[in-house]
Parts: sequence; C-alpha cells; structure tokens
Amino acid sequence: MIWGALVGGLAGTLVLTTLLRAASEFGLTRMDLPFLLGTAVTADRVRAKAIGYALHFGFGLLFALGYYAIFLVIDRSGFLLGAFFGLVHAIFAGSALVNILLPVVHPRMGTGFTAAGSAPLLEPPGFLLLNYGRQTPLATIIAHIAYGAIVGGFVSLAN
Amino acid sequence: MSGRPARFNGYAPIRDYAAIGDGRTVALIARDGSIDWLCLPDLDSPSVLGALIDAERGGRFVLEPEVPYEASRRYLPETNVLETTFATSTGHVRVTDAMTLPAGELSPYRELVRRVEGVTGTVPLRWRLDPHFGYSGGKTRIEQRAGIPVAVSGRDALALCSWEAGEPEYGKQTITSRFSVGEGGSSLFVLTAAHQEPLVLPTRTDAEARLRSTAGAWREWAAAREYGGPWQEAVIRSALALKLLVFAPSGAIAAAATTSLPEQIGGERNWDYRFSWPRDAAFTLQALLALGCAPEARAFFSWILHASQLTHPRLQVLYRLDGRAEADERSLPFAGYRGSLPVRVGNGAADQTQLDVYGEVLEAASHFASSTGGLDRDHGRRLAELADFVCESWEQPDAGIWETRSEPAHFIQSKMMCVVALGRACELAERGLLPVKNSQRWRRERERVREFVETRGYSERTRSYVRSVDEEEVDASLLLAVLAGYDDPRAPRLLATVDAVRRELARGPLIHRFLGDDGLPGEDGAFLACSFWLVEAYARQGRLDEAAALMDELVPLANDVGLFAEEIDPATGEFLGNFPQGLSHLGLINAAVSIEEAGT
Repeated sequence: MIWGALVGGLAGTLVLTTLLRAASEFGLTRMDLPFLLGTAVTADRVRAKAIGYALHFGFGLLFALGYYAIFLVIDRSGFLLGAFFGLVHAIFAGSALVNILLPVVHPRMGTGFTAAGSAPLLEPPGFLLLNYGRQTPLATIIAHIAYGAIVGGFVSLAN
Repeated sequence: MSGRPARFNGYAPIRDYAAIGDGRTVALIARDGSIDWLCLPDLDSPSVLGALIDAERGGRFVLEPEVPYEASRRYLPETNVLETTFATSTGHVRVTDAMTLPAGELSPYRELVRRVEGVTGTVPLRWRLDPHFGYSGGKTRIEQRAGIPVAVSGRDALALCSWEAGEPEYGKQTITSRFSVGEGGSSLFVLTAAHQEPLVLPTRTDAEARLRSTAGAWREWAAAREYGGPWQEAVIRSALALKLLVFAPSGAIAAAATTSLPEQIGGERNWDYRFSWPRDAAFTLQALLALGCAPEARAFFSWILHASQLTHPRLQVLYRLDGRAEADERSLPFAGYRGSLPVRVGNGAADQTQLDVYGEVLEAASHFASSTGGLDRDHGRRLAELADFVCESWEQPDAGIWETRSEPAHFIQSKMMCVVALGRACELAERGLLPVKNSQRWRRERERVREFVETRGYSERTRSYVRSVDEEEVDASLLLAVLAGYDDPRAPRLLATVDAVRRELARGPLIHRFLGDDGLPGEDGAFLACSFWLVEAYARQGRLDEAAALMDELVPLANDVGLFAEEIDPATGEFLGNFPQGLSHLGLINAAVSIEEAGT
C-alpha cells in the first residue's frame, strides 16, 4: 500500500537524518545533506538549511516510492529486503549520486570541468564521500540501511 | 634593520599581540606576522593554532619577510582589521588581516583573510601553516582538494586558498611556501574553516569584497558609539575590543580571548577566561549603555537571565558562552606560555560561592531598567528570587571576587555587594518592577548586612574597609563599593578607603588587587581593571583632577594597537594574564565616561 511507503519514507528519512547528524556530532563525518542540497538553491546559509531539509524529506519520499515500485514488481517486501535496498542505495549515493551527479548539477560545487573561480566552491565529496571524513561511507551505509529497513517494514505492515 | 621582533624560546611578549575576530572567534597575531592563537569554530572551542601556549606543538600560521625587518602596526581606523607594515632593506610590504563577516555569495563557516600588498621595492616572504586541531590532541591529515591544501580532523577542516603566494609545499603536518611581492603587487591568503559541513572554498573576488565590507561594517559600528571626551581613541578601541569578545550567537561576553596566559611568568595562576562572568554584568551594561550599544546590552542581560535558569536562584560564577553551566577544569599536555604550567581549559571557579555576583546582577538590572524603561514580569520575578536568596545566604563565607582557592572567608566586598543587591531590589520593587511581597524582608536584611560591614569590616587603624573580617588588609575590590553605590561616594569611610587603596596597593599608576595570600604560590602583577576602578572612584567622589591625571597615566600603557591584558608587571611594564581582557577595557570605558559625566 502506497501510504505505507510514504509513512515509511518520512520515518526513514527522519532516522537517516538523525543518524547522520549523530555521526557528525561524534566527529565521524562532515557530511551535511541538507546543507549540500540547500546551497544548490541559495547562497544564504540559514535559508539553505531550511530549504535543504525540505528537499531532503522530499527526496526521502520519492526514494520510498521507488522502493515501493520495486516491491510491487517483485511482489515481496519486508524490512530485511528494505535494508538490502538501503545498502544498494547507499553505495549508489556514495559512488554516483552525490560524488558525480550532485557536483554536475550543483552550481556551487567544483568538478573536473570547473575553471578558475567565478563562484565560491563547496568542497566536493569525493569517491564514497571520503573527503568528508574516512568514516563517512560507514555512517552513510548504516543510515541508509536503517532507512531502507524502515521503508520495507512499513510497506510490509501496510500490505 | 634589526631583524624580527624578539621572542623568548619561541614565545612573543603578550604585549606584541593584536586581535582580530568575527563575533564568534578571535585570532591573535604577533608583531612578526605569526597567528599564534585561533580556536575553531568558536572562541571556546579547542585551538587549531595554539603556539601561544605551546610554541612547539601548538600550531601557527607564519607570514613574514625572509630578510631582516622592522614591523609597525595599526588597526585600520575604527575597525578590527589589522594592518602590519614590514620595512626591509629591499622594500616595504603591508599585510592586512581580518576575520571576515558573512556577506555576498556563499560565505565560509569561518574565514580569515590575509592580504599582502607591495608598497615599495620587492620583498621576499615565506609562510607556513602548521595546524594542530583539538589542542594538538586531534589527528590532523593534510590533503588536497583541487590543488588547494586542506587540513582535516574529525568534524573540522581547514583549507588555505592562496593567490600569487607561491606553490604550496606539503610536509607531514605543515604547508609552506615562499614568494616575492613587488611594488603595486598583491597576494592573498584565505584560511577557511568548516565544522560539521563541507568546506566552502571562496573566490579571490568574493574574499576581497568581504574584507572590504568587513572593514566597512566595523567602521559603521564604531561611528555609532557615543563618546566625545578626551580619551576618545582609547574608548573606541576598547569598545571594538569588547565587541570582539561578544559571542554573537548568544550575546554572552567572554572575559578574554585566551586561556592560561600566566599572571606570573612561569607561575601557576593560569586560567581559562573563555567564559562569561555574570559578575561583569554591571560594568558591561554600564559601558554598553553609555556608548549607545543598546542591542548588545539587551542581548547580554537576556543571556545572563537565560543562562542562569538551570542554576536559579543560585548564580554560578561563570557560564559557557552558549549558556551551558558545565565548565569542568582540566590540564592540557601543553608546554605553557614560557613554561607557565598548568595549561588549563575549563574553569574550576564555576563551582565557587561568590556572593558579590548577586549585587552586580541586580545593579545591572537597575541600569537596564533605567535605560529601557522597565523589566518584563518574568525577569522581575526571578530577580526578586535572587534577592530572597541573598537574604538566606549572606551570612555564609564565600570565595570572594578574586576567586581565591584558599578557604572561604567573610569577604567585606562580597557583603557590601549583598547590601547593593538588596538595595537595588527594594528600589526596583518601589518602581513596580519587582514583586513587593518580600521587600520588607529585603530592607531588614540589607540593614543587618550593612551593620555587619560597618562593625566588622572597617579598620580604624588603617582607616579603610578591610579585605575580610579578622584581618586588616586593604583590597582594591573595595573600590567597587563606590562604583556600585554601597553608600554615598563621599561618605568619610569610602573616601578614606579609596585613599588607602592608593596608598597601600599602588605601584605608580598601577594597582595591585591585594598583597596577601590567595592560596597559590608566587605573585601576580597589578590588575589593570583596579587601576581604572580607582579612576572611576575618584570621578564619582568629585576628585576630577586626580581622576584625569591617573587616566592620563594609564591610557598610554596599552600596547601599540591600544589593547590591554589583564595585568601589568609594574617593574617591567610587561603584560600578564589573558588577552585582550574585557574587564580592563570595560574599566577604561567606564572610567572615561564617569569623568565625562562628573564634569558636566
């Protein structure tokens, strides 16, 4: 049931955000997804954080719908399967989504094509987001596994 | 040229430092262009550049000519932007240092800009960035991002963007290079810091624009200050120094920008002053309101009442800049400024009982209410509860204003401030700003404390109020009885006490706090705030000639850029203690304003 995916997406994003923030507080990473997303829209730091959180939750719901579509196709769901999707999601996010795609579309992040400065640059994340701290891949994977498990669990409960 | 300014085993004299800041943290720059102190991201965070208290392991950002030079400095007029000119045999070069205020495009979390301009000839320079995160306890990795040197440690990262400043060379823990600047040429360094977020790597254009707008913002702020007396330059510089110590996110005011600069070289009176003391409330409110800084005054007063909520009605001696009450003291494995150990972070005085604080806070409330026209009901209720607490506590011994680590005693200045606390509470209640139900009790207890002070706190032999009961020593804190309005400033006993302080504690224009034991070995220097308190006491007693003469002697004792530390060694003129010291600058402002007011 689609409501299960949406509620799971909301709860999963909440947990994912909290886990990443906790990792940041414990000095494991400098990853700040709302800041990265928000600064794609505005240079104002305060507005960037607010917009970033809204975008982050929006993407959280979209990805939950994506998970839901796959659950429908394979006619299976559950928190373990969701956790596996979360693992794949984290590897995709670290290796392609944030590392390659985000710098291309982000107006304030450098890529290999960026020429001498016309705009301030955000530090690029690097492969598996390692530029933001060596524990960042671990924190990201754990947070996404939790997200996937919650989405899978809610979808399973709603069926 | 005589060569670089003197250092003792790698340590610059405290007098040689100038401060720059952005309302969140402060950097100290020595005359030789080395940034020896920078805590990130905030003033009370661990140091990243800490050579100030460990020349070997602390970390610094060196930028100086490679050839012998003479250095001269100034702040750009009415700003906290520092300009150092190096004169060498091959030419002159000017370095402008500032921590920028956010403006324009996406600003870094923290940004320190160093602009180098060739004035005449050609000058070869060298630089070295040697960051050590977490008081040198954090593991620091040096990496590169798109050719830019980056130092990373856990939640924190630092990037050094540079233009026309040589190709960076990477060591295990350092980044170095050398370059030359010719007449009309310029180079730029931008030290950008991130905390729990990706670094922002600015463009040269944006950083230079922020440097200009930062100078403009400081000038605009300074121009709005209201003082037109004879010590205008010193008063405005003090206001700007004080503004550096205002922690903008909360409104708290740090006592100083550093920890563990010693009160005696090689001694153990080394304290962490990167906290806010409610005791300074009255001095601060008085100074801020006199200079037309109403927003800062309002923010600080609100911060005190906010920070003290968790300990209410007990006022803790000090609070963290973010308002938290924990201040656990520990020692760092640092070498200490010129071997002065221990190097402390945190402050154990937080747990002491100091009864005078209540008088200062209620005096501040009185200033605040007079200038803003009132107090809100909740603040009034809480202030009344402070007065109740004073009624219950004044008979206890305390640690006193100087935070002695010896046994608690009945310090007379503490009792006098209890009289002030209860007096202000009564006045505020009469004005309808505090609940009146306990005002009879406040009045009754005030008279009991006053009787205690007058019968046990005055020595006919020394003709002075005394430091504590059962001893006859004079204490400079007794000057605060005049400043806070314990009695008529011209009351015979107060007139005699002011004379006794000058007679017993003065070394030239400088005043020691007291001469007795404070529970620690060694001696400290003369406490600058006390010297300014004496000026203010003279002014309030109508002794304007004495006040102005002493002020004229004190103001030139500032360093070359107008800043004061906590103390001065009367024998050598050397600065001692933490730097720059808010209480010294508050004392200067209030002394100058008092003379002005008394003369009109």
